[in-house]
Amino acid sequence: MRPQVEYLYRLAWRFTGSVADAEDLVQDVLLKLYPRTRELLEIDRLRPWLAKVLYRQYVDSIRQQARSPIADLAADGDAEGDPFDTLPATKDGPEEHAERSAWRERIIAALEQLSPEQRAVVAMHDIEGYKLEELETILETPLGTLKSRLHRARQQLRALLPVEPFFVGERVKA
Amino acid sequence: MECRDFTLQLDDWLDGRLDTFRERSIRQHLNVCADCRRRHQHALAVQAAVRELPAPIPHPSFVEQALARAIRGPGAGARSTRRFVFGMALAASVMLGVALGLFLTMRPTPVQAVLLTLERPQTVRLVFNSAKSLQAATLSLALPENIELVGYGGQRELAWQTDLNEGRNLLQLPLIARGAVKDELVARVSHGGSSKTFRLKIGVDDAGPAGM
Repeated sequence: MRPQVEYLYRLAWRFTGSVADAEDLVQDVLLKLYPRTRELLEIDRLRPWLAKVLYRQYVDSIRQQARSPIADLAADGDAEGDPFDTLPATKDGPEEHAERSAWRERIIAALEQLSPEQRAVVAMHDIEGYKLEELETILETPLGTLKSRLHRARQQLRALLPVEPFFVGERVKA
Repeated sequence: MECRDFTLQLDDWLDGRLDTFRERSIRQHLNVCADCRRRHQHALAVQAAVRELPAPIPHPSFVEQALARAIRGPGAGARSTRRFVFGMALAASVMLGVALGLFLTMRPTPVQAVLLTLERPQTVRLVFNSAKSLQAATLSLALPENIELVGYGGQRELAWQTDLNEGRNLLQLPLIARGAVKDELVARVSHGGSSKTFRLKIGVDDAGPAGM
């Protein structure tokens, strides 16, 4: 399972937008999958299968958190630190780095405005590149629902992310 | 084609889901409509920005610990003969009465870091708020390198099963720093298939007792 942990973690982070929640989600999935290691070896396309398991666990955890007192133990959001602490280093200078950070934060903030289901379809389709037909199986959701979910999510993102910041990198400096 | 039709079909076009006829209509409309050209550019820019958003890389220690926990299984909780006692939090004056105590509250004002003095045992106190009592919750701790739990030698991963009372629950961790600390202390509470992870940054003051 080790080679798949990074993939699971990346997806989990895209679903949850939080390092701590991503770790919890991956841990829960690994606990479930470890006894099924042999079964995993027989699966042709492992990543879509893992994505399906992860998504199910994600949905379950949202439902559980809605009724579990443990959700109340949650530290405030900023207690988990900056998720970009563990991002790969870039070669930007301080000014570019600051611009990039602000820009990333705006994108993350916009993604946080989406519902968990919308975030999942955006993550899987627009970021990870799965086709909607594949997502019917992975997310166990009818094609029509996925299309309208994706459409609404994109509309919301466009409304939350005006054009200008996306061209920051192309601005000609005086 | 009207602008409204363009907006409705834009996502299908971006996803390559339009037939040749409708795609031609869209392109013709774009040639004559500056507003829709801007909409199209904006949609492309947003899509690219989201797609290129980098995801963090899991910390190597997380990968190792997560795999180790998966191998041990969900039932691998209480494996220590010593058990930390969760109890209702004492009055604030008593808590403050612990001379070396470093008080970390998870809510409502979380503290992200504590400072320990090198080679000096100090008690870090964590308070967990629970909306109701929880029976047999699992608490696991992953200690960073150079941090020891007093009485546990070099053991870096520990887990206990314990009950949480409704309200504030106090966990006292007698820690000792043996050197510089790079990673964080990770505390994880699990119950009924749900879990929550807390992280604590630990700084180490090597100035000795006089530095406190």
